[in-house]
This record gives sequence, C-alpha cells and structure tokens, in this order.
Amino acid sequence: MFRRKRTAEDFAAEIEAHLELEADELRGEGLSADEAQRKARREFGNVRAAQERFYLRGRWVALDKLLRDLRFGLRSLRQSPGFAATAILTLALGIGANTAVFSVMNAVLLRSLPVSDPDRLVYLRTSNPPRGTGTIDSNETFSYPVYDALRHEGRGLSPVIAYVPLSGSKVAVRYGAQPEEAEGDMVSGAFFSGLGVNLPLGRGFSDDDESNHAPLAVLSYNYWTRRFARDPAVLGKTFYVSGVPMTIVGVAAQGFEGVEGGGSTDFWIPLQNRRELNAWGNPPQDGKLFMTDSTWWCMRVIGRLAPGVSREQALAQLQPVFQTAAYVGLGGSPMEGEKRPVLSLADAKSFPGYDAMYGNPLRMLMAMVGLVLLIALANVVMLLMARNAARQREFSVRQALGAGRGELLRQLLTESLILVTAGGALAWGFALMATRLLGRWAQIETSLAPDRTVLLFTLGVLAFAGLLFGLAPLRVALKGRAELALKTSAATSNMDAGKSRTGRIIVALQMAMCVVLLVGGGLLVRTLRNLETTPLGMNVDGLVVFGVKPNIPSLAEGRAFYVNLLGKLRALPGVESATVMEERPGSWWSDNGDMQVDGKLPDVADGASRTVRSNVVGPDVFRTLGVPVLAGRDFADSDTAASPHVGIINEEFAKRFLSGLNPLGHTIGSDDGRYTMTIVGLVKNHRYRSIDEEPIPMAWYEYAQIPMVGSMHVEMRVHGDPLSILPAARKAVQQLDPNLPLIRPMTQREQFETTIAQQVLFARLAGFFGFLAVVLVATGLYGTLAYRVSLRTAEIGVRMAVGARRGQVVWMILKDSLVLTVAGVVIGVPLAMVVARALTSSLYGVKALDGMSYALAVMGLAVVALVASAVPAGRAASVDPMRALRTE
Amino acid sequence: MATQENNDDRIALLQGTLDLLILKTLLLGPCHGQGVARMIQRQSEDVFLVDHGSLYVALQRLEDRKWIRAKWGVSENNRKARFYSLTPKGREQLAEKAGEWRRLTRAMGLILDASGGLGEEA
Repeated sequence: MFRRKRTAEDFAAEIEAHLELEADELRGEGLSADEAQRKARREFGNVRAAQERFYLRGRWVALDKLLRDLRFGLRSLRQSPGFAATAILTLALGIGANTAVFSVMNAVLLRSLPVSDPDRLVYLRTSNPPRGTGTIDSNETFSYPVYDALRHEGRGLSPVIAYVPLSGSKVAVRYGAQPEEAEGDMVSGAFFSGLGVNLPLGRGFSDDDESNHAPLAVLSYNYWTRRFARDPAVLGKTFYVSGVPMTIVGVAAQGFEGVEGGGSTDFWIPLQNRRELNAWGNPPQDGKLFMTDSTWWCMRVIGRLAPGVSREQALAQLQPVFQTAAYVGLGGSPMEGEKRPVLSLADAKSFPGYDAMYGNPLRMLMAMVGLVLLIALANVVMLLMARNAARQREFSVRQALGAGRGELLRQLLTESLILVTAGGALAWGFALMATRLLGRWAQIETSLAPDRTVLLFTLGVLAFAGLLFGLAPLRVALKGRAELALKTSAATSNMDAGKSRTGRIIVALQMAMCVVLLVGGGLLVRTLRNLETTPLGMNVDGLVVFGVKPNIPSLAEGRAFYVNLLGKLRALPGVESATVMEERPGSWWSDNGDMQVDGKLPDVADGASRTVRSNVVGPDVFRTLGVPVLAGRDFADSDTAASPHVGIINEEFAKRFLSGLNPLGHTIGSDDGRYTMTIVGLVKNHRYRSIDEEPIPMAWYEYAQIPMVGSMHVEMRVHGDPLSILPAARKAVQQLDPNLPLIRPMTQREQFETTIAQQVLFARLAGFFGFLAVVLVATGLYGTLAYRVSLRTAEIGVRMAVGARRGQVVWMILKDSLVLTVAGVVIGVPLAMVVARALTSSLYGVKALDGMSYALAVMGLAVVALVASAVPAGRAASVDPMRALRTE
Repeated sequence: MATQENNDDRIALLQGTLDLLILKTLLLGPCHGQGVARMIQRQSEDVFLVDHGSLYVALQRLEDRKWIRAKWGVSENNRKARFYSLTPKGREQLAEKAGEWRRLTRAMGLILDASGGLGEEA
C-alpha cells in the first residue's frame, strides 16, 4: 500500500503517447501537423487535472494527509519552541518517572520467579522452631533431618528442595591466582531440575551429586558475565570455594539469581559436608556440621506441589512427617507444655523478601509519581488549551476557508501525537537511566531492565496522554466558529476563552497535589535528617572494617591466627588500634538469646523480653570503636583461654537485669549455664545492629575464651582516610594465608549507612518528586496566568485609561493566583494528612501531623504562586493604556 | 470536469458506465488509451463524449483492481504506447456489469415507454 505501483512520470508518458497517437490519427484524417497537435491537446482537455487526479488516486491518501499534517504540526510547533520544549520536557519527566518506578516495582513485586510453572512452587514455613534449637530465621529455616524426612516421606511435594548460603554475606573464592569474594549457596541435587531453571551452558546437579557431595559448581548468568566475560571455556575449570576446589559444570539461565530476594547468588554447589563449607560459614558446633547438627535450623526449603495435589492435600500429608522430624535429636517429642511447630506453605510465585522490604516504599513512590504525572498531564493540557485558544482566530479562519471539523480534529491529534512521541522517547531514555540509578541506590541486585510489561505500561500512559491532549483543546478550537473570524479584534475573539473556569479548577487541583507531595517529601526528608544525625554512641570516623574467613582446622590454630593477624595489623603504620568481632555493627546481623545472670535466667516483669543481644569480640574492642567504658575495663590481650572468663555488658543490660547493683563482679553466661563469665566492664549504650534501633541489653564474650572460633570481622581505627589502609591490611592477611580475600571492606560509617539506605533513597526520591511537582506547578501557574494576562491586555488598558493605578492592576492579577493558592491549600492539607498517616511507618523522629512540615509546604506553595504570578503581574502593570487600546 | 465545449448533442457519460465501456472495448483485444477513447466514441456513433482525463484515471483504477493489466508496447504506426488487456477477473466483471446495465436499461425503458399511462393520469 505504501509503495505506488506507477510513477507520475510513467502516467505523464502515457498521456504524451496518447497525444501523439491522436495527432497521428488526425493527420491521417487530413489535418496539418500543427493543427493536429493542437486539436489532440484540445480534445484531451486538462492534462494537469488528469495528472492531479492520477496522483491522488495513486497514493494512499490517508498517509499522504498524515504526512502533511505532521509537517504542518511540526511547523506550527516550531513557531512556538518555548511551548513545545516545555510540553515535551514536562511529559518526559512525568512519564519517565512513572516508567522508572514502575519498572522497579515490576521487577521487584510483580515479576514472577524466573522458573517454570511458579504457581506450583511453595516455600515451607514453620510456626516456630522447637525449643532447644538454634535458627537463622524462626519461621523460615529448617534442620537437615526435617528436610531429609520431607524429601523421603513428603509425597505431597515433588521434589523438596533445600538451599543454604555458604555465608551471611560473601565467601572467599578463587579462580586463577587472585582471591576474591562471591555469594554462593549449597543446594539440593534437585535444585535446578525441580525449579525448572534452564542451563544454557553445561548441566545442573543430580541427586547423586548431592549424596556424594560432588565438588561441582554452577555459575549464575550474571556472575558468568561479570567475572568471566561469558567465556564458554569456563566449563571444566577449577573454581576454589573457601579453598576447596570445585569444577564448573554449568551456567544458569539469564535472570535467575536464586530464590531469595535482595541479593543475587553468584554460584551454587551441591550440599557439602565439610568443615570449610559449613552452612552460613559457621564453625562446627560441638564438632557437628549443619548436616549432623539436628538442632540447628538453618536451611531454607522450597517445594513443588506433586502433580494433581492441591496445596491443602500436600500440607495435610506433610504435617505429621514434619512434626515427627522436628524432634529428631531432641528426644523425639516436645518438652512439657510445648506445642509442636506447625508447618505451612507460602506462595513462592515471586521473591518473598522483596515485598516486605520494598513493598510499601515502592507503592508509596508509585503513588507519588502518579501525582506528578497527573500534574504534568494537567500542565500540558492547560498549555495546549491556552495555545489553542490563542489560535482560535487561526481555527476560525481555517473553518471559514472550508476546513471541516474532522480536519481540525486530525490536526490537533497530530500535534498531540508529535508531542507525545517526542516526550515518550525522551521519557524512555530518562527512565532507563533513572532505573539504573534507583537499582544502585536501593541496592537491588536483581535485574531491573524494563521488560514487555513496562513497555506496555508506558505505551498505555502515552496513548492516554495523546488522546487527552488531542481532545481536550478541541472544545476550545471548535468554539471558534467560522463567523468569529469576521470579528476583527483579537481581544473580542479571545474573550470567551479568557473566562475558562476549567483552567482555574485544574490549577487549584494541581496546587492541592503539590501540597500533598511537599508535605510527604518534607516529612521524609526530615526523617532522613533525623536518621543521619542520630548519635551512634560510638566514634565511626576513622574506622574501617572487613571480614576474614580463614581455614581453621582447630580451636588453638584459629585463636593463634587471630592473635597473629592482630599483631601484624597493629604494627601497620597509621593504625591506632585493631580488634576482631564475630558480627560487625551496622549490618543488621545480631545474635539474640537468653542469658543467665548469677546462675539463673533473670526474672522479668510480665510480657517483658529477656532477650540479650551478644557478640564475640577481641581485645581493645571498645577503645577501637570509640564506645565509652563507664565502669571497669575493656577486653585486653591478657584475656586468654587460660585466664578467668570475662564479659562486658551495656547500660541497658545492667538496668534491666542488675537494677540498682554494681554490675562488676556478677556472673553471666549462656542460657544452658555451660559457659559463664564475670562482668569486668560496663559500656555506654550504642547503636549496634542499625541506626534506627532502640537500646537493648547487650553482652560481649572474649573470642579467645569461648570454645568456638570461626570467621571474624576486623575493625581498625586508623589515622587519615580509613580506606587507604586496606592494601596494607590485605597484604598482612595474605601473608598468613594467600587464599584469603578481604570480605566486604568498607568504612564503619558506610556500614551503618547501609541500614538506612532504603530510607535515604526513599526520602531523596520523595524530595526530588516534591521538587519536581513544585517546578511543574510553577510552570503551569505561570503559563496560565501569563496567558490570562495577555488576553486581558485590552481590558487592562481600558481600566488604566479610566484611572486604575498600577498597584490595583498588579493586585488584580495577584488576587487571581492567591484565590487559586488558597483553594489548593484548603483541598491539599486534609489530603496530605491522609497521606502522611499512611507514611507513618516510614517516618523516624517526626510525627505524621508535624505542623512544621505542613507550614513549610504551604509556605513553599505560596512562594511558588507568588513567583509564578510576579512576571505576568509585572507585565500587566507595564501595559501602556494607549497601545493596548490602539490594538483594538 | 468537462472542459470541452459541448456544442453538439454528445452527452457526458453516466457515472460508472465508463468502466463498463472500457471493459467491453478491451474484450475485442489489447488496446492503448487513445484507441479505447476513439473506439468508444466511434462505436457509440459519436454520441458519447469521453473525457480523456477521466478515461486514464478510470484505466488506472481498473488496473489497480486487477480487472485489466497494462504494458508498454509499440502501436501499428510505431509509436510507444501503453497497452491494456482484460484479465480473467475483468472478464467476469464485464459479464456481471453488463447484466446489471441491461436490467437497468430495461427497467428504465419500461417506465419511459409507458407514456400512455403517464398521459392518462396527467
């Protein structure tokens, strides 16, 4: 259809041939050559008209008209570049922000696990673990015997799949010479086959691989890309995990990065049974690893419903198996008064952790950018209406000249199409960038690349915008009937449009939305400031932290390793002090449990918690961290395995369990009473797990005195830039073991900031969108007012001619925007209160009805309104009455 | 459209009849546009006035519909000309259109020839 079969030249040639044939024939009838030719031409009639008709026939007229409309639209937009640029940018920002937030939401909340038939997958959950067990998560982790029993007897699920991380963060790996760190999981043999994850390269694991603990590894596509540049030759190569050689046998499908939210798994190995590769990187407990330690509930379990089995049926079948297996190694039955744990199955369609982590903030953001989009669309509509009202004479003239309403409509739609296309293209680019930034800030490692859903979403918004922009101004355009063109005065022909109430209502609503965004943004920004200025109770400046995961064959060797390491590190130039600890502060990790005080579990008031948070640390720990020791002493090098066991507590511990007593000299210990220590120090409360936590009782063990030693984090206080010590520290570590990388090295400040990263991101974005809304509202208000002033130029001229002073004229214009502002505030504040209440859970140190934030928002809006009206008001005041009247 | 002076009793073609005439003319064999025009004029005993512009547009329209096809050739007096010929589809259309036309003229004739009735009523 787009290609014409015949050219106009060909048609012209045919007519030429016709004329010659006719002339020949006429000559044959006896006419002279000249006369014959003239007659032929006369007989034919209008050659041009025929050619014109051929031209119109020959092409696809609609397309032709469209192209013409497009050219016309472009020309008319080029005549008002300010309008075009504003409209396109406004659209790009509004739609781009929506696309960006939507693609994050899509990737995080809506997209399914990249596995086959995700609807049939379930996560296993337990109501609680049995007493006497240790867990990673009290509802989501299970012991190896439970997994084993479910796998063999749980016919409701086929297969049952378990997976467990090699570490809470990353483990040491080596490919070639340089040690590095990566995130790895140990998994069931049925992991890939059961989930239905394809392996574009190589193979997955088998049940035999699991039972033989085969030294094999499968890489994630992402890791393969990032670390191995998608080299297919990695298959068969050796990959060391915590010093244990594994053979790479496969690469998992693109987009599959494990079944846990938040992080991304780099590689998988079959379940192993060796000290270096214990679950979560823990040292053996009483010589037992996760497979043999039936009281350690550390594995996550996922299952696929067996064919033809409903979830209820599966659960009914699994329940007794689970409840029996739960007491393997615990005497086979619950203690007196203890309820058996109850198994449940949870949807595994999408990433489980994500909704909890990002759900609310994302939905909130989506609502915010939705508001921004509304404001942006309203702006463009108003700009278009103003522009088209100003073009009413043009439309009237065109109608008078015979343009149909259809033609006008098509023209308006074409112009809106140009705007929307340009805005959309810009928005897409903007969204791609914003999405990448969002992903980085939020530390979401899952791929956020927009997919088809996102594209459809954006196209939907664009189509809506296109229609809206085409249709909204049509009313104004059509109101300019043909006879209007006969009225010569610009002022009179524009009169009706000048009174448009729709425009005022839209501006007032925009202002209301602006108030909502400003209040929301303000509350979140204040939350952010509160978080950032929260005193940590320690001096994080000059502190650097990194993890080490040495190979520890025995307790004595492990302790010796850390003594050696600390010796080397303290000797480095610029190092003030150094210590080790099992869990690093500000990482969300903590070891919680009950502790005995003076030989028994302390009495607490009804309902109060007995939980004590504990950590295992090395000498000089509080001096290094900069936490004040209120009484007694810090741990010292002289505290060794041979010296009396000593412990340190915080103020909260003393207040809660040793109220009114001098805590020094009291004995505390583990809940089973097998390990005890004497309190030798009392330290000030300080933030431990995260920035926004309440004080909780804490106790510290000396690492050299407890019967367990594993991987540790090193804290160093140094002079100057903390990170500059890392190369020297790396060298010191590798002198002890060349296989050891520094795990997640960073400053302690950065580490703490990760705990508020999400709030920071949320607040920044909210602030940004609030700002964007303000800019948009200002533009919209300015546009509307400027337009109204320009329409009233003649009126103002008359007023001034009959004696109105400039001040009165300015006031007349300002009053206009003042009324709109007041209306906006009256609608906006109650709305903002509703929104703020929904935000409550995201606030810190500021109330939802914080008067200050509301006052600031209203003031901000007032300033915007004033600034936006100042220019038009000034223009109105400078109207020269004579000139204004002369334009009549 | 008719820009020719209309000083004789030739009549302009009815809408739609040109197509039929072209098809009928081409039934005799391939022909160029000028020949078609001449032939229509001649066969109608110079009653029909063929607007040449309309003729070529009609030819193009028929060609687009694939009722006729065209190719450049050489006329008997050695002029380059575009020759049109009927396609099978065009043949079918001719039969159908001709039938329609006959029904129409018959109906018209019946009404117009019943002049007696008309007079009686008047």
